[in-house]
Order: sequence, then structure tokens, then C-alpha cells
Amino acid sequence: MFLLEHDAKTLLSRGGIRIPDGILIESTSALDDAVLPAGPWVVKAQIPAGGRGKAGGVRVVDEESGLRAAVRDLLGARISAHPVGAVQVERRIENAAEAYLSLMVDPTEAGIRVLLSAEGGTEIEASARCGGSLATAVAAPDAVAITDAARRLVDGDLSDDVSHTTRAALISACELLTPIFLSLEALLLEINPLFALADGAWIAGDAKLVVDDNAFGRNRLLDDILDRRGDAYPSARFKRENGFDYVELDPDGSIGLLTTGAGLSMMLIDELRAQGLRPLNFLDIRTGELRGDPARLIEVLARFAAAPALRVVLVNIFAGITHLGEFARLLLDALEATPKLRAPIVARLVGNDLEEAREVLAPIGDRIHIEPDLGRALDAVAGHLDGGDNR
Amino acid sequence: MNLGTIMREGAPVIVQGLTGRQGRRHAGLMRAFGTNVVGGVSPNVDRESVDGLPVFPDCAAAVAATGAVASVVMVRPESTAEAVIEAVSAGIDVIVSVAEGMRTLDSLRALREVRRAGAVWIGPSTPGMAIPGNRLKLGFLPNASLLPGPVGIMSRSGTLSYEVGYRLAARGIGQSVWIGVGGDPVKGTRFAELAPFFHQDDATRALIVIGEIGGNEEEEFAATIEADGFGKPVFAIVAGGGAPEGVTMGHAGALVHGPHGAVETKRMAFEAAGVTVCPTIEALVDTVEASI
Repeated sequence: MFLLEHDAKTLLSRGGIRIPDGILIESTSALDDAVLPAGPWVVKAQIPAGGRGKAGGVRVVDEESGLRAAVRDLLGARISAHPVGAVQVERRIENAAEAYLSLMVDPTEAGIRVLLSAEGGTEIEASARCGGSLATAVAAPDAVAITDAARRLVDGDLSDDVSHTTRAALISACELLTPIFLSLEALLLEINPLFALADGAWIAGDAKLVVDDNAFGRNRLLDDILDRRGDAYPSARFKRENGFDYVELDPDGSIGLLTTGAGLSMMLIDELRAQGLRPLNFLDIRTGELRGDPARLIEVLARFAAAPALRVVLVNIFAGITHLGEFARLLLDALEATPKLRAPIVARLVGNDLEEAREVLAPIGDRIHIEPDLGRALDAVAGHLDGGDNR
Repeated sequence: MNLGTIMREGAPVIVQGLTGRQGRRHAGLMRAFGTNVVGGVSPNVDRESVDGLPVFPDCAAAVAATGAVASVVMVRPESTAEAVIEAVSAGIDVIVSVAEGMRTLDSLRALREVRRAGAVWIGPSTPGMAIPGNRLKLGFLPNASLLPGPVGIMSRSGTLSYEVGYRLAARGIGQSVWIGVGGDPVKGTRFAELAPFFHQDDATRALIVIGEIGGNEEEEFAATIEADGFGKPVFAIVAGGGAPEGVTMGHAGALVHGPHGAVETKRMAFEAAGVTVCPTIEALVDTVEASI
């Protein structure tokens, strides 16, 4: 899961890392009552995406009037296709050297990769590709090995580039951030810029943190994020509460996808969009885990029923191991439990017991169209949308 | 990457977690397909056999008694790392682990042990692998999609590969070797590591790569065949172009952030390496059929 900057910094701060004075603002009215840090400020859109600065999601302001305008401007805007639900207002750090630090799980080298540079900034990765001074090494996934590797980089590859204060800041940052990285079960932690102050102290100017989705439900620190800030991570919260994946893609989508398998569900979304259609959601319901209980199906159908622009449901089940007859019975139960959903259904069913599934679903009549061929099923979906303006 | 011992027909296979619900069921299905399952491992279970298969307390005992060269690990994700490490320590050559939800730090630990021993680990979070011509299935790839033939398949997604395999099989085109590498960010075997194997495998005349957003396996594979050459046609699809940045899409490894893991980056890498990237499943199946 990709954490918003504000949450990443909260976690770092709890781990003893110094961050700029700042506050999360979720509405323009909240700004009136907020105890703001001293200016000048930087205002940053809280979206789960990199490259915010280039996309217009970061504003530098000196006056309070400018601050208000920037907050008003960013809240509710879309930056890099993400709606901005909150901004972080921070005191701008001045008169500090900027460095770069990144720790990441390296799946190829089977270890933790450390990347360090004596310079920070948005161009650091591009500059490194052009021969800039980004030093890197891979260490075993334990704190001693990682900090040792970092120290060797600072005093080796980077020794000609770093000032005395930047050297101290980078070494201190590695020592403090490595145990946090490991305990948060992070896949990536990038501090850019890392402000190195004249007295050898340092401040995490930004924080990009991606944590292991597989650790949710088993890591207290990660679960605490979803407990407190679940509204900002609806998909991750849904997964933890329900045990399967549902991601709303387009609130005005017209096609509800009742699908199993992450890869196939993503591919269906791509193919529908390529035809100019608008799927509402991504879903991996995991038919193998249903075990005779329609609860997951009911949960999903309730979301379809509440979607304002929904016109048709596309079911796609490839029953390699599971049985279509059993799935059809669960679908029937779930439809009966969701009377508000009246949209027609195109069910692309392939695999064991197709005929039994047809018999089970016969009482639904013309509302459901069962079609074993995926191409023809997609045509049927498009057919239900013809004549409407919400393709 | 040495799949040598399991390429022989009748290679002996054990199932770790044989006495569990999933282990017992899939051991039966693997045997029905033709896999030579010779026993199982279940610590803390006081049973001598399940469905006629001997149950051993640990891998070492199972290997000593049966000569098994491969193991299918069907235990909970929390126990998978220990099970994989146990199999490696017992001298198993090829380990397939199916569980979804292994913690990445556990996967890293297991991977380091596997590499130290020079073994092959396929998984986690995978339906496994199959060599249909040898009646070998390690895991639970669906029979409806399996058919002996000339096409190699490697995939990060189970269901998307089932769909591709199924549609090709319907046109009479089967697989030489099918390997699901799994959907997690850290895994035992990556696309690039399989390139030399598929390059050398005489039964493979063309290769299908089924990728998705997140990570850099596709780019890494493309760089490998660009540098080393491959000499056989390679076809690919990459799922997830419609996925929002910063949101995990089902598979723990399917996450785009910034330029990292985006479909476009993967497509460009593939095309630079001479891989034919297809926009839809239908286009992939048509293109492969036309080339075979």
C-alpha cells in the first residue's frame, strides 16, 4: 500500500524522526480553526502518486492570503487523476542542504537496496541515470547489514561529494530509518529531500512509503494506520474487513464487474475501456474462498445497487477448480438478498458444471444472459449500453 | 535455473501440508492428472497415510524414503517460508508454493536460503506449474486449459493465464512448460531467470509472457533477452493499464507509483527487445495461432 505523505511522516515522527512542523487540512473551513505552523509554507496535495510537484500538486507560499488560495485551489482538484481530499501545510525548510535517501526491497538481489545521494530534488533519479552521484548497495535484510552498507557508501562512493554535515545526516538517517523500515515491513521508503542542517541534524522533507499489503492483519503498526485513517485508504480497508479485493475505479461507471482473479479482472477493465466503456470497479472475489457462503457476493452487489450510473453487471467466472453450479446457487441467493439491484446481468461462465449453472439460474429468466465466450459476453454488455449516453 | 530433475517423466513429488484440506484435495487432483505424488509431509499430525500416500513428519524423512525431487507446499502463508526452507534443506530441487499472502520479509528470507542451496522455488501466490506432455502438474492449474504443445507460458497471474491457455487449447495449441511465477513482489523465480530455460528447451517453439502492472519483471526479462538473444518468438500481454496509480490491484505486487511499474514502461521495454505486445487476450491468441 502506498501511504499518503502525511501518514508516512506521522509514522516516521513516532519513530523519532524529525519532520517539518505541519498540519493536515481536509477542508477549507478547517483552515480557519487550524493552528498553523509558522510561515513561509509549502502546501502539498495528499495523493498516492509520485511526481506531485511537476503535476502542480505542490505550492510554495509566503503570505497567509496565498496560503488560503493554495489550499482552496488544491482541495477538490484532481492531480495526476487523483481527487485531492486533503493537503499538508508545512513550514518551509530554508538554509539547509538537500540530500537523498532511499531504502527498498530488491526482489532481484534478494535483499534491501540502499540508495544515497549528496543531492536531493525531483530530478535525482534522472540525474543518476546520466552519471550523477547516486550511490547504491544491497544488504541482507537486517538492520546491522543495512546500516553498515550505508556507512560504506557514504565513506566510499560518496566521500568526495558529501560535506561534513551531509555525511553526518545521511549516516544518522540510515541508523534511525532502517529499524523503522523493517518494523513497518516497508517495500520502499524514500526521503527526498532530506534536509541536512548546519548542526548535523536532519529533517525528512518528504516521505514516500510503500508497505507490504501481505502484512496487514498481522502487523500492529500497519493495522493502526487503517484503524485511524481508513477513510483515506478505502481499498485497503475493504480488503482487511472482507478478505478480498474491491477497488472502485469510476464512481460514474456503468458496468459492475463481478469477477475473480486479479490479472484477468485487470485485463477485462483494460479491454472494456479500450472500447470506450466505463467499468465501475475492479474485483477479485476469489471463488475458491466462498465455501458455500454468499456474503462476499452480497457485499459486492450492494455496492452495484448503490452506484448511480450502473446499467449492467458483467459476471466473469472461470471455474477451473470450483464448480459453476455451486457458484450459480450463491449468485441466486445474493441477487435475492439485493432486491434494489435491478440491472441486467451478462454472465460469462466457463468450466465445471455449466449446464447445472444454467438450470440454477433459469428462474431469473431474461434478466441474465449466460454466455461462455468472453468476446460475445463483452458484445452483450455493450448491447445493454447502446442508446444510452453513459457508455 | 535448473529444472532438470523434474523434466524427466514420473519425477517423484511430495506435498507439504498433505493432511490439510487443500493439500489432500490437490494431491488427489495432481495424481489424477498423472503426477507421481509419492508422499506428504505434515508435522504434528499422527497419521501414517492419506489416500494411500505415506505421511512423514518432515521433508528429510520424506526424501530419504521416497527419493522425491520436487515438493508442492500447501500450507498457510505464515508457515510457507519455514516449509520452503525445510524442503531446500532436505535436498529438494524444485519447490512450488501456492499460498497467497506471504509477508515480503518472510519471502526474502526463504529466497536467500533457496539461492544459497541452488534450488528452484516457484511462487508464492501462484497456481503452480505444469508440463502437460509429461502429465506433470505441481499445483492446481485447471485441466481445461492444459494441453501438450509447443508454446511456453510464464505468468504473474493465475486467472489471466487460465484464460489464455484455455482459448489456445480450444484452437488445438498446447503448452510445452507452463510456469506461474506468482503475483507477489518478492518471489522465488522471476521471468528473467526463466529466459535461459525456455531458450534451451527444445519442446518450446514460442513463448507467451503474461505480465501486469507493478515491479520490473517485464523490463528485466526484456533486458535479458535483448542482451543474450532468445531466438524464438515471444508474445506478451500486460494487464492493468486502467489501474489507478498508488492503489494495489489484488496481487500484492500489482502497484504503480510514479513511473515505476506502469504498463507503458513495460510495453516499451518489451517492444525494444522484439517482443510482440498484444492489446487484448483475443489478439494474443490470434497472433500466437498465426505464428505457430
